[in-house]
Amino acid sequence: MLALALAAVFYAPRHPAHASPSRPLGSAVLVDARVPGTSAALAQGRTLFDENCSSCHGTQAQGSSLAPNLRGLGSATVDLWVSSGWMPLANPGVQPARKPSHFTPSQTLGIARYVASLAPGGLAIPTVDLKGASSAEGFSVFALNCAPCHTITGAGDALSNGIVAPPLHGVTGTQIEEAVRTGPGNMPRFSTFTVSKQQLADVVDYVTRYVEHPDSPGGGLTLGGVGPVAEGFVGLFAGVGLCVLIALWIGDRNESSGESEPGHGDGSHDEGPGTETPEREVAHA
Amino acid sequence: MIDSLFSWIDDRVALSRSGRHLLDKIFPDHWSFMIGEIALYSFIVLMLTGVFLTLYFVPSSTPVVYHGVYAPLRGQTVSAAFDSTVNLSFQVRGGLLMRQMHHWAANIFVGAIVVHMLRVFFTGAFRRPREANWMLGTTLLILAIFNGFLGYSLPDDLISGTGIRIAFSIMESIPFVGTYLAYFLFGGSFPGTAIIPRFFILHVLVLPLLIIGLLAGHLGMLVKHKHAQFPGKGARDDNVVGSPLWPTYAAKAGGFFFLTTGVTALLGAIVQINPIWQYGQYYAYKVSYAVQPDWYMGWLDGALRVMPSWELNLPGHMIPTVFFPAVLLPGLTFNLIYAWPFIEAKLSGDTAEHHLLERPRDKPLRTAIGAAVFAFYFVLFGASATDVLANYLSLSLNVVLWAFRILCIVVPIVVFPVTYKICLELRATPGAGQRKRHNLVVRTADGGYTTIAAEEYPGYVKAELEPVALDQVDLVSAMAADADQGTEGVYQIPRDYR
Repeated sequence: MLALALAAVFYAPRHPAHASPSRPLGSAVLVDARVPGTSAALAQGRTLFDENCSSCHGTQAQGSSLAPNLRGLGSATVDLWVSSGWMPLANPGVQPARKPSHFTPSQTLGIARYVASLAPGGLAIPTVDLKGASSAEGFSVFALNCAPCHTITGAGDALSNGIVAPPLHGVTGTQIEEAVRTGPGNMPRFSTFTVSKQQLADVVDYVTRYVEHPDSPGGGLTLGGVGPVAEGFVGLFAGVGLCVLIALWIGDRNESSGESEPGHGDGSHDEGPGTETPEREVAHA
Repeated sequence: MIDSLFSWIDDRVALSRSGRHLLDKIFPDHWSFMIGEIALYSFIVLMLTGVFLTLYFVPSSTPVVYHGVYAPLRGQTVSAAFDSTVNLSFQVRGGLLMRQMHHWAANIFVGAIVVHMLRVFFTGAFRRPREANWMLGTTLLILAIFNGFLGYSLPDDLISGTGIRIAFSIMESIPFVGTYLAYFLFGGSFPGTAIIPRFFILHVLVLPLLIIGLLAGHLGMLVKHKHAQFPGKGARDDNVVGSPLWPTYAAKAGGFFFLTTGVTALLGAIVQINPIWQYGQYYAYKVSYAVQPDWYMGWLDGALRVMPSWELNLPGHMIPTVFFPAVLLPGLTFNLIYAWPFIEAKLSGDTAEHHLLERPRDKPLRTAIGAAVFAFYFVLFGASATDVLANYLSLSLNVVLWAFRILCIVVPIVVFPVTYKICLELRATPGAGQRKRHNLVVRTADGGYTTIAAEEYPGYVKAELEPVALDQVDLVSAMAADADQGTEGVYQIPRDYR
C-alpha cells in the first residue's frame, strides 16, 4: 500500500502537464497512418487497457489515487511508455527501467489509439522520416541537448536522487521522437523551437546509426562506453597486472630458505628484521 | 682486425674497464625488483609511439572543417588538433593502434610507478642511503601524472576539454596569485587558442626531457648504491647477491621489455581507449555527463566530488572550495611522500645505512601507516566513479556520494589496526608465506602406500646455494660449470665494488 501511495506521489505531479489539452503540440503530426482497420484495433486496445491498465488508471483512463489521468495525453506518450516496457510498472515508487514490452507492437498501438480516442488532445505517434537526415547535424544537436544526461556515448548514467538517465542502446527511432516531444519522467520536453523537426530526424539518425552501434568505427572492446573509469580498471588490472605476473614468472619468488624461520635468512650474519624485538618496532617509525 | 679496432677505440674512450664492471652488476633475483622495469619499458613504448603520433598530430586550435571518413563529424567545425587526431586514427595505417597503445602505455606507466613505489615503501628500501632516490622517484611520479594529463588534453575533445576547464578553475582557486597564474598559462581567459600548442610543447619536449634526465639520475643512483636485497643465504649489508647483468639479466630484462610491449600492443589492439570521435570537438557550451579523468588523476577528481562546499571567507579574500581538495590535498600528499624517509628516521632514531630490506610484516607500524594512507587515496580514487557506481549498483547518486564521504574517513581507521594485527600474526606464524614442499603419496606394486617428499621448487634450490664471489672467479667458466651441472648459479659482489 505504501509503495502504491509512493507511486502516486512519484507520478502524479508530472502528468497533468501532458494531460492539458491547451498545451502547444510539439509536432504537427496528428494522424497515425500505421493503424488500419480502426474500429477493430480500438476494440482490441480497449480490452487490453481494461485488463492491464484500468486497475490503476481507471476504466475511462481518468486516473486514480494510484496513477495519473491519461485522458487527452495523446497516443505518443502511451506508445512510448508501453513499448519501452516501462508500463505496466514492475516496481511502483522506482523509476521504471527498460524491459521487454508486455505487448506486441500492434497491441501497443491498439492501447495507444484507444486511450487517445477517449479525449481529444495530445501528441499522436510520430512518423519517423529519415530521408535527408544528417548524422553530423544530429551528433551536434545530441552533444548539446542529450549528452548532458545520457552521456556522449549514450551509455546513460545516474543523476541525483536516484533518478537515472537510461542508456540509449536498443531504443527505436519512434521512441526517441516520442521521448523528445513528450518528456517522460524527469526528461525535459523539447519543443520544435528548441529542436526542429529536421534536427530531431538528424538526432534519430545519429543515435540509431552510431550511438547504438559504438563498435562500428573500430578500436576494439568498448567497455560499456563509460570512459576512463572502465579504461583505468583495464589499464591497472589487465595492463599492470599482466606485467606484474610476467615479473613473477621471470623473477624468483623466495628470497630466503624455506626451512629456516621466516625473515631470518640463514640466521648467520644478517641483521634481518625478524631479529628485532617488538618494543623496538613500536619505537621505529 | 676487429680486435685491434676495438682496442684502438678503447684506448681513446676507455670504456672496457667501467663497462666490464657495469656488466658484472648483480641483480637480486626477487620478482618485486622488476616492477620498476615495467615503468621504464612502458616509457620507452610511450616515446616510440609518441614519435609516431607527432608525425600526424597538428598542435593547433585553428578551426577547420572536418572532411574525413567519419560521417557524423563531416562538415563540423573542429580544431586542427581534434581534426588531426581523428584523421590519424582513421586514415593513417596503424594510427589508431599507435594512439591506443600510447594511451594504454601511459596508464600502465603511471600504474607501474605506483606499484613500484609501494614495493619500495613497504620493504623499507627508501632508508639511507636511498632517501634522495626516493625523492627523485616521487618527482618522476608527479611529472608522469602531469604529462599524462597534458597528453589526455591534446586531442581537444569534449571530455578532455572539460578536464582542462576544471584545471583552469583549480589554478584560479590558488589564493592571491591563482587568476594571474591561470591567465599566464592559458594566455588569457579560458579556453583561448594558446593552450593546445603550449600543452603540446610541454608534453612532447619539456616534460619528457625532465623525465629522461631524472630517470637517468634514478638509474645512476641505483647503479651507485647497487640494489637493496632481501635477507637470505649469504646476503649481507656489504654485498649484493643475485645474478649478473650479463648475460642473465640482459636476457631477462630484454625479454621483459618485449613482453611489456606485447601487453601494451595487445590492449591497444583489442580494447578501445578514448574514442574521441564519439566525444566530438570540445566547445565550452557543450558537456557530457559522466566525465572522468584518466585513473591517475582519479583521486583528485574523487576528492573534488566528496568535498562539501565549504568556502573560507577571509577579510577581503575568499578561498573557494576547490582549493582544499585540488591544491592543498595534493600539495600535502606529495610533501608527505618526499618527507617520509626523514620522518621515519626521526621517529625511529635509525639513521644507519641499510641495504637489507624488511618484510612488511616485520615493521607493523610502518606497514599499517602505509596501508591506511593508501586506503584513503584508494577510496578517493573510487569516489571519482560515484555516478558510474550509482548507475551500475542502481543506487541513488547522493547515497553513493555520502557513502564515499564516510568511507574515506572510516576505511583508513579500520585498515590501520587490521593491518597491524595481520603483521603481528604473520610474524608469529612460522613459515607463513613460505611455499610448502609437496608430499607425494606413492602406491607400491603390492598395494601399500608410501609418502616421499617432492623435489624442491627450482627457486628453493637456488635460495640454498652459497653465492659465488664474482670478483674472485671468472664468470664465464663459473657459468659454464653451472651449466654442466644443470643448475643456475648465484653470485655475489661486494657493495663497494667499482
